[in-house]
Amino acid sequence: MYGEVILEHSRHPRNYGSLESPDLRHEHDNPLCGDRVRIEMSLAPDGSVRAARFQGDLCAIAKAASSLLTEMLTGMTLEEASSITHQRMVETLRDEIPQSRLPCAHLPLDVVHAAIAEYRSSQCTSREP
Amino acid sequence: MSHETFDLIERLRRSGTRAAMATLVRTTGSTPRREGTKMFVGEDGSILGSVTIGGCVDARVIEQASQILGSKTPRLLNLKLGDEEAWEIGLSCGGAVDVLVEPLDEAAPLYENARKEWDAGRVAAIATVIGGDDRGRHFLVTDPPARSGITTLEGREVYIEVLRPPSTLMIFGAGVVAIPLVGFAKALGFRSVIIDSRPRFATRERFPEADEIRVGIPSEIAARTSFGSQTPVVLVAHDYKIDIPVLKRVLATDAPYVGLLGSRRRGAAILKMLREEGVDPSDLARVRVPIGMDLGGESAAEIALAIMAEVVAVMHGRNGAPLSAREDLVHVR
Repeated sequence: MYGEVILEHSRHPRNYGSLESPDLRHEHDNPLCGDRVRIEMSLAPDGSVRAARFQGDLCAIAKAASSLLTEMLTGMTLEEASSITHQRMVETLRDEIPQSRLPCAHLPLDVVHAAIAEYRSSQCTSREP
Repeated sequence: MSHETFDLIERLRRSGTRAAMATLVRTTGSTPRREGTKMFVGEDGSILGSVTIGGCVDARVIEQASQILGSKTPRLLNLKLGDEEAWEIGLSCGGAVDVLVEPLDEAAPLYENARKEWDAGRVAAIATVIGGDDRGRHFLVTDPPARSGITTLEGREVYIEVLRPPSTLMIFGAGVVAIPLVGFAKALGFRSVIIDSRPRFATRERFPEADEIRVGIPSEIAARTSFGSQTPVVLVAHDYKIDIPVLKRVLATDAPYVGLLGSRRRGAAILKMLREEGVDPSDLARVRVPIGMDLGGESAAEIALAIMAEVVAVMHGRNGAPLSAREDLVHVR
């Protein structure tokens, strides 16, 4: 039914759980199918992602995408994380994802992008006099 | 039953109607209702509730009620149940009941206090003296017994009414079956909590009668919830990504009822996955799938009714078979 990568990461997800005091955190759902994921990231002093974790009740595709994405994020700068595209995310799953299931593959990336946007916005606010 | 009592007292308070309160305090033999059942008879002739299931006993209580409202003196009525009908069909006797009838005015403030406890999820108990000179005197009991009944305190017979907080039906999945479920739950005196990951589905507009709506990661919400012996759980999301992690949490608790929407085949597949994840087979045996009684209905409301029928049966320790199929006395406890 699914390719090897999706099966492996959905059955044995990497980075599942939460961080003690994350610098970035966001949670969102797919409004119709009910996938909901929360992604947390902590940053190293140089601003790169030191650790990323995810948590949620997810279908196989969304869980595999979350697992792969959190692996991918570790060590990246926020700039690099922002530039990850939906297409790259789907390619990482190494499987034919039907059109109707693309939102499942995209969800964790959308959550990461929203987390980065929130973080940047909060940094701007905290720098205001 | 507690919710009915509080609701009826509240209705009378709002309407400003003086009323007599009749409480079934003792039963012997075969009787259709339990101790604590109430009926209110208003001075305007209105009747709320019933101490039996209608019939001549209720009629006699109603007759007495207007006199008691006038005299303001509580009275304990000892009534034979169903004698007339029993003679006609050749039985000697049905059962007997003692009904305390008293003016509600005296008791109302105490019930208001008890309601505050009950609303806060705590057991409340009201004692009423039923024998002696101070018959009808009420007081709150701080250490309530397990169930309502008559006891002796300081040499007087006292009826203690135990008002237990309602059971809470936890409903995972805010889909079409959950909507009538909430309505049935309310009518049956359950609190209801709707849990879903989708804010578009778990809305106040869709569930105006739900006591609580929780949106989030369902298994996380399950992990934070305390499922006790009064917390039946129904899973109607019909989605394995919700069902599996939620069941894993719920089966580690004392939830008295765990029902899963889905076919036998789907249920077997989900239980197999849970077994592979290390859930104990004895816990898996608690999952009722397909969910509900075999009522034959297919609409959302009919499925919800079948579910609630099973929940009620399990909470009362029954199997839900038709009463007509029982050979023993139905009301002997």
